[in-house]
Amino acid sequence: MRFKLNTFLEWTLAILLALMIIDVLWGVLTRYLLNAQSSWTDELARYFLIWIGMLGAAYASGKNLHIAIDLISATLSIKNLKRLTVFIALLISVFVFLIFIIGGSRYVYIAFKLGQLSPALHIPMGIVYSIFPLSGLIIIYFKLNDLAMLFSQKLNPSEWK
Amino acid sequence: MEIAILVLSFIILVAIRVPVAWSIGISSLLTIIISVKTIPAFTTIAQRVVTGLDSFSLLAIPFFILAGHIMNKGGIAKRLIAFAKAIVGSLPGGLAHVNIVAAMLFGAIAGSAGAAAAAIGGFMSSQMEKEGYNKEYGVAVNVTSATTGLLIPPSNIFIIYSLASGGVSIGALFLAGYLPGLLTGFMLMVVAYIWAKRKGYPTANKSSFNLLLKTFIGAVPSLFLLIVVIGGIVAGIFTATEASSVAVLYCILLSLLYKEVQLKDFKTIFVESTVTISVVMLLIAMSLAMSWVMSYENIPQMVTDSLLALSDNKWVVLIIINLILLFIGIFMDMTPAVLIFTPIFLPVVTAMGIDPVHFGIIMVLNLCIGLCTPPVGAVLFIGVGVADTTIQKVIKPLLPLFLAMLVALVIITIFPEISLWLPGLFDLV
Repeated sequence: MRFKLNTFLEWTLAILLALMIIDVLWGVLTRYLLNAQSSWTDELARYFLIWIGMLGAAYASGKNLHIAIDLISATLSIKNLKRLTVFIALLISVFVFLIFIIGGSRYVYIAFKLGQLSPALHIPMGIVYSIFPLSGLIIIYFKLNDLAMLFSQKLNPSEWK
Repeated sequence: MEIAILVLSFIILVAIRVPVAWSIGISSLLTIIISVKTIPAFTTIAQRVVTGLDSFSLLAIPFFILAGHIMNKGGIAKRLIAFAKAIVGSLPGGLAHVNIVAAMLFGAIAGSAGAAAAAIGGFMSSQMEKEGYNKEYGVAVNVTSATTGLLIPPSNIFIIYSLASGGVSIGALFLAGYLPGLLTGFMLMVVAYIWAKRKGYPTANKSSFNLLLKTFIGAVPSLFLLIVVIGGIVAGIFTATEASSVAVLYCILLSLLYKEVQLKDFKTIFVESTVTISVVMLLIAMSLAMSWVMSYENIPQMVTDSLLALSDNKWVVLIIINLILLFIGIFMDMTPAVLIFTPIFLPVVTAMGIDPVHFGIIMVLNLCIGLCTPPVGAVLFIGVGVADTTIQKVIKPLLPLFLAMLVALVIITIFPEISLWLPGLFDLV
């Protein structure tokens, strides 16, 4: 499941990145060759970036790629290292729950309630922002899965960030 | 009070190995929660994160990262190294000079120190070992020159600085980076020269004119990219974002032309770029939230007041800021450091009559030095990993190069003309 989800995110991100570059190039092309820039390219590119940023945060969490500075793991016993690792996973989960899921959902709710539409494409902004709580769910899944793997000894705490 | 919570919680979190991006987010949340009710605080931070990412100028960052990955795989890095070797390979300790020049050329095009350290370092370290160079010395040269490449445009970090400073011209920053970048690179080469003389490192034969011409012609298409990107931005034809997208297209076409990659390889290239981009984007999002929390709590104003209370002498303040930035650069990556500290220090220095473009150069060079400071500099990690050695062993050869960078920093801080002359020629400052 975790592996499949990571592969899915990887593909989604690579495709979004490709679409984003095509979109911006299309904007450049229409502006210089046709002398009339399509009004929607900038807007769409920015929404792609929000999606890439948020889904990317989830993807990097799943692969434990977010940079941490490791000053202490060498000084800790395996047992304490494991405790610390559990604490960090829970801390990140709580933060993501509060900001991404509670804060993010409220933000999405407000956008829907006010009926905010994007200026050029008339997409409901709630849809654009919905990636925020969604990535939050994925991150929490990864962190809890980390814990499960840690307790079933499948994950070495010294490799974990 | 707020300032103490913010700083202390951040330091503690980073020290216990919480990833830096999450540490930034959590300490921001702890700070804002003192003065704002919980649910609105969560929503506000969520809003700052999303609206922070909603920016057309930020798009240049993923695009330059992608361009760097394509160059690395597509034979562009290789040609730049060959060209560098033909120019400086015959100096005493030639391969060190090749590394420095190649990193400056490559970093200049890819806009990322990490990419340069990985691409050039991976290629150079085996060669240097073969010719009898000390491996750790090779790593030291690689990491210091890779960060120097950040000063030479196009550089993602200047785009970030432009965003954080509220719109200092990217064209001006790009032009301002050239001379300081060349100066720092030159200082590194002086150290490499002296080191080679003392260690008796080999001096290769002078490259023939034919070879020079051949490698130059090989590098021309890659160098032409610089003219398109920088020229386009400075002349106002492109925005930085548009230029970066054109750079991606150009690199794709060039690497297909070189036949070093096939269409199917682009899947790997896009996925690898995605990894780098994902890590950077969360750092950016969280840093923007922290920056907002700080301004909400009036922290920049407090820092300004206390700095001005310490001294109203421009030099004293600049020295203090330089020292603080050097310290920050040691444990915070460059992108969050610029996003968080630019709004804090920029008002102080502009009040003292320092040009924001000049300050941008000082700040970036300062944090460049941090990137290769033991024990935790991010680029140092990459360089050590590529060459398969340890940071402890690298410290000794790193020291003289490190001092050279510090001397360059002092010179660049004292003489604003080095930064401002070139953009001045184009009426950009």
